[in-house]
Amino acid sequence: MLEIEDLHASVQGKEILKGLSLKVGPGEVHAIMGPNGAGKSTTSYALAGRDGYDVTSGHVRFKGEDLLVLKPEERAAKGIFLAFQYPLEIPGVSTLNFLKTAVNAQAKLRGEPVLDAVQFLRVVRDAAKLLNVSEEMLKRPLNVGFSGGEKKRNEVLQMALLKPSLAILDETDSGLDIDALKLVAEGVNAFRAPDRSFLVITHYQRLLDYIVPDYVHILAGGKIVRSGDKSLALRLEEQGYDGLIGKAA
Amino acid sequence: MSETTSLNRLLDRMAGYKRDTVPWLGALREEARTIFAGSGLPTRRIESWKYSDLSRALAHTQQGTSPAHPAPVLPGAHLALFKNGILDEARSTLAEIGAVPLRQVLADPATPFANEIGHVNPQKKHALLNLNTALMEDGIVLHVPAHTTLTAPLYLRYDWEGEEARIPDGRHLRVLILLDEGAEATFVESHTGTPGFSTIVNEVRLATGARLKHIRFDRLGTESRQSAITLGELASAAHYKGFYLSEGGRFSRHEALFELNEKDAEAQLDGIFLVADGRHCDNTTVITHAGPETSSRQSFRGVLAGDSRGVYQGCVRVRPDAQMTDARQMSRTLLLSRQAEIAIKPELEILADNVKCSHGATAGELDTAALFFLRARGIPEAEARALLVEAFLSEVLEAIESEPLRACAAAAVSDWLAIHAGEIAHVE
Repeated sequence: MLEIEDLHASVQGKEILKGLSLKVGPGEVHAIMGPNGAGKSTTSYALAGRDGYDVTSGHVRFKGEDLLVLKPEERAAKGIFLAFQYPLEIPGVSTLNFLKTAVNAQAKLRGEPVLDAVQFLRVVRDAAKLLNVSEEMLKRPLNVGFSGGEKKRNEVLQMALLKPSLAILDETDSGLDIDALKLVAEGVNAFRAPDRSFLVITHYQRLLDYIVPDYVHILAGGKIVRSGDKSLALRLEEQGYDGLIGKAA
Repeated sequence: MSETTSLNRLLDRMAGYKRDTVPWLGALREEARTIFAGSGLPTRRIESWKYSDLSRALAHTQQGTSPAHPAPVLPGAHLALFKNGILDEARSTLAEIGAVPLRQVLADPATPFANEIGHVNPQKKHALLNLNTALMEDGIVLHVPAHTTLTAPLYLRYDWEGEEARIPDGRHLRVLILLDEGAEATFVESHTGTPGFSTIVNEVRLATGARLKHIRFDRLGTESRQSAITLGELASAAHYKGFYLSEGGRFSRHEALFELNEKDAEAQLDGIFLVADGRHCDNTTVITHAGPETSSRQSFRGVLAGDSRGVYQGCVRVRPDAQMTDARQMSRTLLLSRQAEIAIKPELEILADNVKCSHGATAGELDTAALFFLRARGIPEAEARALLVEAFLSEVLEAIESEPLRACAAAAVSDWLAIHAGEIAHVE
């Protein structure tokens, strides 16, 4: 599904990723954990194609294709979804209008038929109900006045509607209390499938109690320094980053 | 192609009016002509004309027209159609609301409107106002009696087309709107096509408790040259709400000059200016709080693409007696290219000590984080940029209460975004 090979990336001329390599197979859930400044957000932005996150060397293949030559919208249409750590508030764009524009834009890029207003409304209502996203939230401007939990549920709703094959969850747990976290995790778990992979990026082990990973990687100093199964996350919880990987990281 | 507009030509035409004019109008025109002969056309040396060079725009040889936008269709509205600045009475429906062609009023030696025309919030030294007074021919006068509500809007549609639209001494129009106590009306203007040179002056007098909504759709062509002035005076608890949409032109300026004379008078001015194609667009406001407990709100949003140029000058004056004035002003501008320019000049002149006045102005580019968010959801860059521009304008659009008029404004915005998609999509 996703193959990252010796990826180097810089932000404002400063090298943040220094040789990141990772393979994610279909249906797998990989967690990337790391201390502050390890390059977690840079990894997610570099994969999604954000301007200013410059890949200086290395390769990323997604479903066998070179991902790095694509624009962010093309990556999205190919099936990459980035759930934002801090979803943006966009006053003046209703949530519903945004969802419809995004779903139809991706369909267009893939050469699939677009949904009309009635079809779309039916699809969005079904998905919203499962995630406890109210009609009133859908009418509001995108994320404006939403609580932290509402914003993250809205992200999961977008994922459910866009049906990506690789979802990158960038510190989805930040700003969530335990109830909100459970609700979001349930949404993600309901979405797991044999042809759908997840890259769960997090600082804390807590999220992984709810979204249980197949593999855990520790990112430090811009590269993966340790990989293992879910028990690695538990050991990390006990020993801390310093204890597990040493001060050098 | 044709001749340029010159001061001498304008003065010659003014002199031509002297003989065949009724006395009240003769005196009004003569005073205006005399002052204008002394001042000439406004130059950039005059403080409020610093950012808009009319003389230069007029000296430019008049060029061809671009295809005109279709004017909005407003079913049920009372229409006054002006073809190249001349009222087409046959296609107008004014009688049912008692609106009268200006020509008829100007020819009447005993008209009751002689005390009003040229007397609403007068600006003795205003060169273009004097020019308009000296040369005005067409327009309309609407007088709404006390406690009468006009349910359908008055719709002044100005279409400019072909060679006739470009006569070198221009067309000069005057509209007088008088609302008596408690009267209510909506007044819509649409400007399309390419006038070579025109001035339009609206005079608006609102008596106690009267309410006027005023919507301007200025969608003139790239080579158009127009300067418009809306003068207003508001009595106690009168309410004026303006929405001004402008796409600019070779020269485009609208001045909203209001005096809030009595307690609780209220003016709200909202504006959207969308400027591309190297056009110029000037929005100038002067609100004078003369009575106590008066309030004003201004909210202007500008979107500038390519090498266009925008101006927002907003002046709020608070006279010594206007205690408890509440005046707020906000302008925000989105610059879509490195060549676009905005001149913003907020001014407060406060002579009372117990007032609330605020102003704010911002100018910036599209939010790159928001742009990335939309693109990461699969929305192509050009579409994402257009969506963010629409979002930027939405707050001002939503302030239009009438659903059909809001839809007209939203359609004009979408249309502009579609026509200028190329300029909006690229930052150069």
